[in-house]
Amino acid sequence: MSHFSNDARHKQALTLMTNEASSQGQVAVKAIGLCKRYAKFEALTDLNFELHTGQTLALLGHNGAGKSTLIKMILGLVSPSHGELFVQGQSLHTKRPNANLSLGYLPENVSFYDNMTAQEILSYFARLKGVAPKRVSILLEEFGLMAAKDKRLSTFSKGMRQRLGLAQAVLADPKVLLLDEPTVGLDPLASAFLYQKMAQLKAQGCAIIISTHELGLVQDQMDSALILGQGRLLAAGDLSQLRAISALPSQLELHRVSPWQYQQLISLPLFASLQNHSSANRVCFSVPDALKAKVIEQLHLLKIHEFSIAPASLQDIFHHFMAGLNRPNASAVCSAVGEEQDQRELVA
Amino acid sequence: MSQIIIEQGCAQYCPPRALTLIQAVAMKEFKDNLRNRWLGLMAGILLILSLCVSFMGSAVSGTVVLLESAQIFSGLVTLAVFILPLGAILLSYDSFVGERESGTLLLLLTYPLARWHLVCGKLLGHAYVMITACVMGFGTTVLLLLAFVEEHARHALIIGFIHLIFSGILLSLVFVLLGYCVSLSVREKAKALGVLLLLWFVLVLVYDLVLLTALVSLAEVFNRQLFNLLILINPTDLFRALNLLANPADSLSAKSSLALIAQTGMGPVLMYAMLATWIGLLGLLASWIFSRQEV
Repeated sequence: MSHFSNDARHKQALTLMTNEASSQGQVAVKAIGLCKRYAKFEALTDLNFELHTGQTLALLGHNGAGKSTLIKMILGLVSPSHGELFVQGQSLHTKRPNANLSLGYLPENVSFYDNMTAQEILSYFARLKGVAPKRVSILLEEFGLMAAKDKRLSTFSKGMRQRLGLAQAVLADPKVLLLDEPTVGLDPLASAFLYQKMAQLKAQGCAIIISTHELGLVQDQMDSALILGQGRLLAAGDLSQLRAISALPSQLELHRVSPWQYQQLISLPLFASLQNHSSANRVCFSVPDALKAKVIEQLHLLKIHEFSIAPASLQDIFHHFMAGLNRPNASAVCSAVGEEQDQRELVA
Repeated sequence: MSQIIIEQGCAQYCPPRALTLIQAVAMKEFKDNLRNRWLGLMAGILLILSLCVSFMGSAVSGTVVLLESAQIFSGLVTLAVFILPLGAILLSYDSFVGERESGTLLLLLTYPLARWHLVCGKLLGHAYVMITACVMGFGTTVLLLLAFVEEHARHALIIGFIHLIFSGILLSLVFVLLGYCVSLSVREKAKALGVLLLLWFVLVLVYDLVLLTALVSLAEVFNRQLFNLLILINPTDLFRALNLLANPADSLSAKSSLALIAQTGMGPVLMYAMLATWIGLLGLLASWIFSRQEV
């Protein structure tokens, strides 16, 4: 269950991001009280956030949470029912078509034109953005597509298509880059390549909004995240802030603990009060942050020096918020995301 | 007018003008149809069928001689009225629904491209295709015919073919735009094709028969002016009437069931204007449908 009332959450989202703003660049995207309603269905409710240049914002949420709607609103493809949205300081209401020049977008599962070559596709989109043709060659080289530039897209792998998609998105050197599920169906190497490119763009001052379900991958890349559920903002902030909001305990894992040490440990009132996840091969406890120092002290007293304490991961935080939603398939969503994450970690 | 040059990061570029955008979309459409051999196929079909009508049309009467200009045109108009709308429908049915299915429509709309730019660009591209196909198909036929007809018939032949090609292109564009309207209104390619084939069936095959039957059976109550108006509402009949009236071969219009149109005093110029109006109205309708959609 969420720990904040709607108002509190939204104020917190704004406050968190505005506080960061003082030490960071200009505001690239700003949403104030953003709502989108389709007949009786509320796709987004009263969303507030700010994103600054050189930052990466992860949009997290179950399918249908409102992530794609938000992206389409930023792109000017969907009009908000209420609220204001500013992209590069320009209101969505007064935005002219040329404002799209500062936006780059990679849609989910775009198939482009199968009968065209990579070079033809990039040249076509370059003409539509008024980008000089020489930029096409630079991007083909940069994204490792030069050798395949004359091959038809029908012969491209999924990874090559996504590289081409990202090259298309950065054609006009955008100030704001929107990526909708960019790593779906990609192997770890292809995903790593995309994230590496994202890091480069971020270093160049590009603000990136990425909608993804691959939490393990995005955790290290994002500066902040918006967790959406049923069109509402459930939580916002960077990873440490999300951990604080969710108040999830850290995971303590003990290595090389003798049976005698383990018995002594669980007989202590402090450890007896902790949630124990131990199994035949692992000794694990959930440790609330407030007790962390005491737990470490006790471990040292018992001469247990080989242990690790891992704070809650983005995946844990996501599960925590999704579990709080009153959705019939909330637990299924959590387990599906968890399985995907586990598989990725295994592959890695 | 000078354009503003925007500097973003290391890239420098100019926001493209409307005409540049329309031309870019048009060239992409034209190249697509060149690449997938649709253009060659359409031109080939028009050429083969028009050669057959022109040089082998007399075979049904038991002789193989070159038909008179009027008979050739009558055959070619009948041929064109079937083939050109069908070709235009096949060219345009997936223009928008296909791009929506592949995700490229969403992407295109994130570019500094207004929706009417996209409609105009596609229309221009498809116009290039139909112009090339008609000129190649009918143009080659007229060149060959010129070598066989007598000197005095050449002028009428050339004028007739110019009208046939020009009005054929306009008729194709009417059906291309009908294709856009349907393609923008449905969510599946197969559905768009089905609806358009039904429209083709009604406008090309059924409409005339129903009208003629009504005229014959309700001759006393049917207003002649209303009949003429109903004929001219249908672009395919407009095309047929235009070619029969504009053709210098006198015998032609007299033989046609559409000769009644001649009595209205409508000339080819007015008919061209009506075809152009069809294109304008359907273009506006397609842009309006597109502008109301959220992707």
